[in-house]
Amino acid sequence: MKVSAYPAFTVTAFLSRLVYRNQVWSGVFGELVATFAFIAVWTAAFSGSRNVDGVTLPDMVTYVLIAGPLLNWNTTRYIREVGDSIRNGDVTVFLLKPLHYPALLFFNQLGNNAFEQLTITLPVAVIVALTVGLLPPASPAHGLLFLAFWAVSWCMLFLIATLTGLLAFWLLTAFSLEWFLRGIMALASGAVVPLWFMPGALAALLGHLPFAWVSYYPSAVYLGKLDAPTSGVYLLIGLSWLAALAALAGWLWSRARHRLVVQGG
Amino acid sequence: MPSIIAARGVEKIFRQPRRLPGFIGGLRTLFTREFTEVRAVDGISFDIAAGEATGYLGPNGAGKSTMIKMMTGILVPTAGTLSVLGREPHSNRILNAAEIGVVFGQRSQLWWDLPVRDSFDLNRHIYDIPAGRFTENLRYLTAMLDMGGYIDRPVRQLSLGQRMRAEIAMALLHDPKILFLDEPTIGLDVVAKDAVRKFLAEVNRERGTTIILTTHDLVDIEEICPRLIMVDDGKLLFDGELKRLRATLGSRRRLTLEFAGDPGPIILTSATLTADDGAAKHFLLEDESVSLLDVLEELGRGHGLKDVKLEEPDIEEVIRTFYKTKPQLAGAAP
Repeated sequence: MKVSAYPAFTVTAFLSRLVYRNQVWSGVFGELVATFAFIAVWTAAFSGSRNVDGVTLPDMVTYVLIAGPLLNWNTTRYIREVGDSIRNGDVTVFLLKPLHYPALLFFNQLGNNAFEQLTITLPVAVIVALTVGLLPPASPAHGLLFLAFWAVSWCMLFLIATLTGLLAFWLLTAFSLEWFLRGIMALASGAVVPLWFMPGALAALLGHLPFAWVSYYPSAVYLGKLDAPTSGVYLLIGLSWLAALAALAGWLWSRARHRLVVQGG
Repeated sequence: MPSIIAARGVEKIFRQPRRLPGFIGGLRTLFTREFTEVRAVDGISFDIAAGEATGYLGPNGAGKSTMIKMMTGILVPTAGTLSVLGREPHSNRILNAAEIGVVFGQRSQLWWDLPVRDSFDLNRHIYDIPAGRFTENLRYLTAMLDMGGYIDRPVRQLSLGQRMRAEIAMALLHDPKILFLDEPTIGLDVVAKDAVRKFLAEVNRERGTTIILTTHDLVDIEEICPRLIMVDDGKLLFDGELKRLRATLGSRRRLTLEFAGDPGPIILTSATLTADDGAAKHFLLEDESVSLLDVLEELGRGHGLKDVKLEEPDIEEVIRTFYKTKPQLAGAAP
């Protein structure tokens, strides 16, 4: 087997999603409603003030879009897929191939996610930019740093979702875990409320958990709320978290493979 | 011939958490850790040589799929040793997977939403099949399995028979040394079953691909596999040629004669009466050399015979007969 097999999964996943084009319209509509609801909440919260703790309303509008649909992509479908494939035994189909299953999941999800970003997030971003307005990155340097943080964010959320899905090997259910994760993510990733508006102790705690690298840090870097050296430090911490979670996922996967109980037979 | 699969006392015990009935019971399972042990495979040993076609036969729940899953490396044996192509399958899953092909009758490996051809193309990447070899195999398989008409259609639009042919083609694109098939004919109609059987026999004969096939359909074995391994309740019952099994047990075909009216008692030397419903009489043909013609000749004209039905014994019956008559055959070498 060669490495080119994995990108082939990305393409195949993308093509599979193209089949259901009507899902796109409902996706765009739902995301648009949610985004404008958040924008309305922040507009009300600012209630005419130009600046709250050094943050402006346009900052928050941009934050809503980046921290939400762009970075905190919906893991429900993915976790259910991993969980279901374990519960109903479809995982065996992938185990019969000369492939590393977590790597396959990664490239497969990359294809699914690229599809959603292009067909849902992009149109929503264009509509928000034309109606309410979006800010560009704080500086070209912040723009470049954001790209690095974006990559970390994607891998982080992928790993968190994969760990959740893999736990189904032991619990044989991904559903309850997924609800648990959704609650944690809403609070700790900063997708709903940025960490800078949270009480000091809570912000300090959440700021060191891996969830904050999904939404909060990349958005803060984009908006220039962190200077370049500080961003560098947090990028390194984020990469360390990635390494730790990847090791954990790899370990869980190898345990799961050993204890694999294929239903039926 | 050198053996490419060797099983020695292979066992698989599943530990299943005990589910208590009802809502309170469901809640209790959150806190208790009670298990029931299910011995799916119980001390199975056999050797399979390169190029052999072997049928792995047994009723539902006999541990057939479990054995296949262990040989393909996706299930770890609880005890015993298993070697496939000189390797322990589960600890060399990826190396093993590159050299085998697997078809699960009840689980699709094709991409549901995409044309069949796209799934094939993905396999080209997964197994790193050289372009020339891929094109040639695809042409051979498309022609042999008559897939030309639907290879560009999405899998979800295919009939079960078409899908199963595509599944088999997909498993053979990378020239596997061993082809495992778990109930490949399940749910297919007679024509589709026949096409699949003929093709598998051809692949085994022409390409020398070793075939291991689980089934509970005796005809699968007759048409594809000279060798039969029979299991029940996790244990090996018989390992040898199908001919030998039949010869030992006798074929015990069932014959039903229907008459226009009750002809009165009919005694035949070639067949034993088992039930008499008046106009319909049921016989058992113990001797394989007795043909239907012999019976009808002995019966002669003038009884108002309306219809004749001759049934081959089904697998459940063979196993039942086997249990009753020749338990000493168990574990016999081929």
